[in-house]
Amino acid sequence: MTVNITEQIQEKAREILSSGQVELIIGYQRASDGVTARPAFIRKAENVAKLIFDQTCTHNLAKYAIEHRGKSMAIVAKACDTFGINVLIQENQIIREKTYVIGVNCPGVVEVSFGQVGDKLQYRCQICQEHAPAVYDYVAGDPVEEKPLGFDPYIKVKVLEALSQEERIAFWEKHFERCIRCYACRNACPQCYCTECVVEQIDPDWVGIPIQVPEKQIFHVIRAFHLAGRCIGCNECERSCPVGIPLSLMNMKFSQDVEDQFGYKPGRDPEVCAPLATYQPDENLGIGG
Amino acid sequence: MARIGIFLCHCGTNIAGVVNISQVREAVKDIPQVVLVEESKYMCSEMGQGGIREAIEKNKLDRVIISACSPRMHENTFRKTVADAGLNPYLLEIANVREQDSWVHADDKEAATEKAIALTRTAVAKALLNQPLTPKRVGLTKRALVIGGGIAGIQAALDIANAGHPVVLVEREPTIGGRMAQLDKTFPTLDCSSCILTPRMVEANQHPNITIFTYSEVMSVSGFVGNFKVQIRQKARHVDSVKCTGCGICWQKCPDLVPSEFDTGLGGRKIIYVPFAQAIPNVPVIDMPNCRYVKHLEAAKEGKKLPPCRICEKLCPTGAIDWEQEDQVLTEDFGAIVVATGFKPFDYGRYTEFGAGKYPDVIGLLQLERLLSASGPTNGELKRPSDGAHPKTVVFLSCIGSRDERMGKPYCSKVCCMVMAKQAILLKDHDPEIQPYVFYIDVRAGGKDYEEFYQRSQREQGVLWLRGRVSKLYQDNGKVIVMGEDSLMGRPVEIAADLVVMATGMEANDGAVDLAQTLHISYDTHGFMVEAHPKLRPLETNTDGIFLAGTVSGPRDIPETVAQGSGVAAKVLGLFSKDELATDPTVAYVDAMRCTGCFLCAEVCPYGAIDKEPSRDGRLLAKVNESLCKGCGLCVAGCRGNCINLRGFTNQQVIEEIMALCR
Repeated sequence: MTVNITEQIQEKAREILSSGQVELIIGYQRASDGVTARPAFIRKAENVAKLIFDQTCTHNLAKYAIEHRGKSMAIVAKACDTFGINVLIQENQIIREKTYVIGVNCPGVVEVSFGQVGDKLQYRCQICQEHAPAVYDYVAGDPVEEKPLGFDPYIKVKVLEALSQEERIAFWEKHFERCIRCYACRNACPQCYCTECVVEQIDPDWVGIPIQVPEKQIFHVIRAFHLAGRCIGCNECERSCPVGIPLSLMNMKFSQDVEDQFGYKPGRDPEVCAPLATYQPDENLGIGG
Repeated sequence: MARIGIFLCHCGTNIAGVVNISQVREAVKDIPQVVLVEESKYMCSEMGQGGIREAIEKNKLDRVIISACSPRMHENTFRKTVADAGLNPYLLEIANVREQDSWVHADDKEAATEKAIALTRTAVAKALLNQPLTPKRVGLTKRALVIGGGIAGIQAALDIANAGHPVVLVEREPTIGGRMAQLDKTFPTLDCSSCILTPRMVEANQHPNITIFTYSEVMSVSGFVGNFKVQIRQKARHVDSVKCTGCGICWQKCPDLVPSEFDTGLGGRKIIYVPFAQAIPNVPVIDMPNCRYVKHLEAAKEGKKLPPCRICEKLCPTGAIDWEQEDQVLTEDFGAIVVATGFKPFDYGRYTEFGAGKYPDVIGLLQLERLLSASGPTNGELKRPSDGAHPKTVVFLSCIGSRDERMGKPYCSKVCCMVMAKQAILLKDHDPEIQPYVFYIDVRAGGKDYEEFYQRSQREQGVLWLRGRVSKLYQDNGKVIVMGEDSLMGRPVEIAADLVVMATGMEANDGAVDLAQTLHISYDTHGFMVEAHPKLRPLETNTDGIFLAGTVSGPRDIPETVAQGSGVAAKVLGLFSKDELATDPTVAYVDAMRCTGCFLCAEVCPYGAIDKEPSRDGRLLAKVNESLCKGCGLCVAGCRGNCINLRGFTNQQVIEEIMALCR
């Protein structure tokens, strides 16, 4: 299977690069550790042999599409990555016409860290129920059978919700204590593309300079709010966090609320307006009883 | 260093009766950069304002804080005051210590004083960051759009046109005239409704400044006060209105009859028809779904054969029938829009205990109007719908779809009591042997000569008014049995009626909510459009340049509706008396260096005020259309990157205010 998808991607990449349809392929290549994957930027047809795809290809490459916006490019995207691409199309960050999406029917990716490849699927892949890309110009790989999950994908959120308010505050304070405000979570996030992030603005200075829990909390809460109804669950934030804060829990809580209230999952269709950006007079907000 | 002057208003005892002003004075006088604190019993009085002007000049103040009532009340007054003293009016800041303090904390004077100090301190913090702002000036199109061709719309159109400005009158139905055209007589004078209405219709039609688009609807509205762009869809009549002479041969010879909307279903109309004899324009419309030729064409598609008819086309002496005619969309410019789309009568079929609209001899007020009208389906002869018999006992039920929480209509429709009195008198006029009964909750006869009219129905005409509600109606042996209660006598009443009339209330018209959304104006839970202020600005909406007249904003009688039609014309003419309009400078602006072009701002903007402008690298970035922006701040709150700010209410100012409160 691995060989198959890699070959398909290489062949397509060669075709569209040499025909001049795109000037850049954003895909995956083997990292210097020899076992994991890293983003690849291929501009010449003779280099397409570097491209790979296997279960170590965890990155959401949509992030790089923003950096290269304006160029005609192709991007290798797993199902969840295509949701991110759709959100970026919806928010006018990338131009659909200039972006050739090589979608991958994704069987899920495994836990990786530098030099190490686990044998277990990442948690987000264990709860994944959509393995086919939502937007694509070409699809690599065979369709993955969609199996019923057998448990609530939001079970981790439910566990946290069951705690008392004090316990939840204690839970997050314990984690935020470790935060060093390196902003890796933000920088890895394909949905964080502001020219100047509010946490770095100085007039007004929304978030103070001290690396103390209140400032850290504010930063994470702002980010969670900014992602509400937009996070597609690629989990790049949590993967990139050097101190292991379970950021996905916060994002999942918002995703669950948006799905419950509006029946909306971001990135499935760029034509559907994001619910938090619009108001329909007949919408039920589930508030006030 | 700024030079701030603080002016503390007593507002008589409104503020000073609760807030300890001298304590406030002590607390704010030493705030850095404050050079002056003054008091006045009434700051808004000529003396108070004079004091402010004098103090500004004498102390060279460059910021002014007025600690008084809500800025909604007197901000404009005081802006003029400071401008008269040579200060930019946007350097003024108002601390609302009346509505937000003394009025709501009258029971706790100490806390109210503390809050007054905090609010004044907050205003100082904000004022320090105030920048001088200058309004922009834009031109305007002196041309009005009136939506709705009933009496309110006609009156407004005539008054505007008579003052010399062009008006376009758009009406959804094939003719203008509206509800008033359907009425027989009007209370309390009993003059014939169409006799007083049709001259106005003709006047509007012949007026050189009025263009009438009937059978047309407003599709979209963009732009802003003075500069609206409106798309109007003219539905296809399938009759060429230029060629048509209104001779009437087509509708005389058309072979089919369907229930007439104008006669509320009691009479019939042809498939090619004008709604009533005095219709304006006197050009018929073909009701395509019911037309034999259309049915013939559709059957032909399925391979079936039906006779093609086309009699109207064959007989038309001018060849005006045009089967190919299509809807036309016109885009027109206007400076002001008058909404006068009226009401519809409540559907009494929703009352299951009164037969759910299935008993033929239970009718609504408007149906009885048509039965009484000489131009109605019975030519003014009183015949009940079931068997055409002449009724002798007629029972009226009041408050059908009014004052009824159960139907979701808690409001009083205002005219029904008087309509019942009028109709009962008219019944007596038709045949003195008719006995009208009226079941009422209480009679509302507020209006000139109304009470007298109601009394007359009782004393001179012998109409029996029974105070009480009816619980049930049922049909029995050609009669409708009314089971009610006379609550004054405290006993049940049962009447075998020949005809029962439901006094149907006024409901928001079909499509009112859609129209309000198209126009970006507010509407209430009942679908009535909302005035800018219920008492002081009853004709304006919250959107500048869009006005309301008649029953579109709630139940009204004819005199009030006509008065509103004229009143709205005065509002439009006031607007048109200017050659340019000043736009409020407290609007949003985009920091293009930060903008990412995600256009969340455009999604959340209720006024469509975000334009897309290409940047140097070809990407589209947000730009605020300052004429459309109302300064609501939704985009500011929505923008994730904090790329939008509001002049006069910047994020920095709000943060400074919060900091001042926390100090």
